Amino acid sequence: MEQIVFGIGITALTGALATIAGSAEDTESNIGSQGDPNSQVQLAPQMGFVHRIFNKAVAGEPPAYGLWCALGAGLAWAFMAMQINAVLAIVLGCVLAVFVQGVYATTAYLGRTASLAKFGQPVYVDILKSMTSVTMAHAFIAIFCVVTLCHLINSALGHPFPLPLLGLIWGIALGAAGSATGNPYYGKERQYQNQKFGAGVPISASGNIVRYAEAGERNSLDNGFFTHKIGGSASGVCFGLIVFLELWRTVLFDKVSAGWGAIVVGILMILIFTVADRYIEVWARKNYGPYTEVKVES
Amino acid sequence: MSAVAAKPQAGGAMNPTAMGVGVVMLLIILALCWYVSPSIGLMALVGIIIGGVLIGFGTHFVPVGGAPAAMGQAPGIATGVAMLAAGAGLAGLFGGAWAAEQGIVIATITGGVGGGLMMAITCMMVNFVYVFGMGIPAASGKVLNDPITGDSQKEFKSQGTEGHGLPFVSFVGGVIGGFLGGAGGTLIYLELLALYEATLPAVMRLPATQVLPIAVAMAGMFAVGLFLVNAVLTAYNITGTIEGPHDPKFKRWPRAIVASAVASALCGFVAILIVAI
Repeated sequence: MEQIVFGIGITALTGALATIAGSAEDTESNIGSQGDPNSQVQLAPQMGFVHRIFNKAVAGEPPAYGLWCALGAGLAWAFMAMQINAVLAIVLGCVLAVFVQGVYATTAYLGRTASLAKFGQPVYVDILKSMTSVTMAHAFIAIFCVVTLCHLINSALGHPFPLPLLGLIWGIALGAAGSATGNPYYGKERQYQNQKFGAGVPISASGNIVRYAEAGERNSLDNGFFTHKIGGSASGVCFGLIVFLELWRTVLFDKVSAGWGAIVVGILMILIFTVADRYIEVWARKNYGPYTEVKVES
Repeated sequence: MSAVAAKPQAGGAMNPTAMGVGVVMLLIILALCWYVSPSIGLMALVGIIIGGVLIGFGTHFVPVGGAPAAMGQAPGIATGVAMLAAGAGLAGLFGGAWAAEQGIVIATITGGVGGGLMMAITCMMVNFVYVFGMGIPAASGKVLNDPITGDSQKEFKSQGTEGHGLPFVSFVGGVIGGFLGGAGGTLIYLELLALYEATLPAVMRLPATQVLPIAVAMAGMFAVGLFLVNAVLTAYNITGTIEGPHDPKFKRWPRAIVASAVASALCGFVAILIVAI
């Protein structure tokens, strides 16, 4: 019984860490325009819309976070092998991983923006200086949370995978969940705030991203502030649910009926999310209605 | 025929010669494996091939819209197909590896359910953001009616777009894709783990208990690598984006099955050679 209560406590803690990680990851990627909306940041100058948006896409979010989390977890693992305290080892590992992220962010911004010189897009040194440190801070939070939850899964819950491999797996999953949930909110709702609410961006408007703020030109800190409220929170909830429910069903039901308990609970949870998704879909169709008149086939 | 005169091949066209070459390559690799390690190695390779094929086939179900989906210009999840499939499959592998002691059937299904659960949560949250964050209903650009619910789609597409969000058929496709990916990844891991547990103590001249962490780490890394290989192959097959099982691109899956089998066999053979030679 004590073991189960301990497991549930660790599961709750990892769920909370994952929620923070998802939120920080999405905000970091939005400030750096790392996800798919990056295509518009890169396209805008080519369409004549010079901007001051940070543009640091190194790779897709999943492989980028896979690298950084695996690096943080690997270094923390090495420090722990050197008998350094686990908390200090994780912090040191994550700090070093974040420096790698900072180097990638700097070279990506300089390289990507310099390639747009022929379209008149300047490299803003002040943007580089002010944005890179903010993305690094958010990346540190995300990497630290992932490495910590991996350490808890490994040492407290007894998962067989070594820490660096867990870092790689959950880093990729973090990037996948964060980019899937957060990208549309940044790409459509923020970059194209000048388009109609409640409709997709017409393909003809591609590249015409919003470049001006209430005062002066918009920069990526404004984007991070805006997207964090819904996109970041939703990404956090998404990754938090993934980690929490995956661990919860294993910790509580793994031993029930020789492993079938966890499988049945997993299937039940999938069915619950299916019903919730269908409810959301139908709710939108009823409340927002069609864009054009429904044609009833005779 | 000159390059100018050559007709452009349709993306979905099957090339029987290439498929035949693929099958021959697969047989050659299996024969080589039988020569190097006729019992345990060959069994592991067959398991790896089945796992790789499951991943390659499963990735076709995952609804991914790429960059256009991030602007609400196309349906699907706004990220890369290989990356999303990898995220779901690896989450499944995580669960499957945990259940490894409970036998291959339980562990494989556990891995599959883990991948399916990850996709179910992600797909629901995608629709949540589209509907409650952006006020956009889900609409497919490839079919007039949702094949499962029968809901009309055309009227719910906003002007100048190919659709947006995840219609119900795409949600179901995502869960099936996550399930197949998680099960395939776990199967590869289990096969390699059994192989390494049996052979590494003799190769490294160490007791089995000391070798176990190395075997787990090696099998896990190869499983992750094989997952990415198969997911990326499928991403090429569907040219980056797909709405799900109702998308016409889905019909290209036989080509990916052959490619995944050959690639998995080659990578698996290398993983076996490490301990077989």
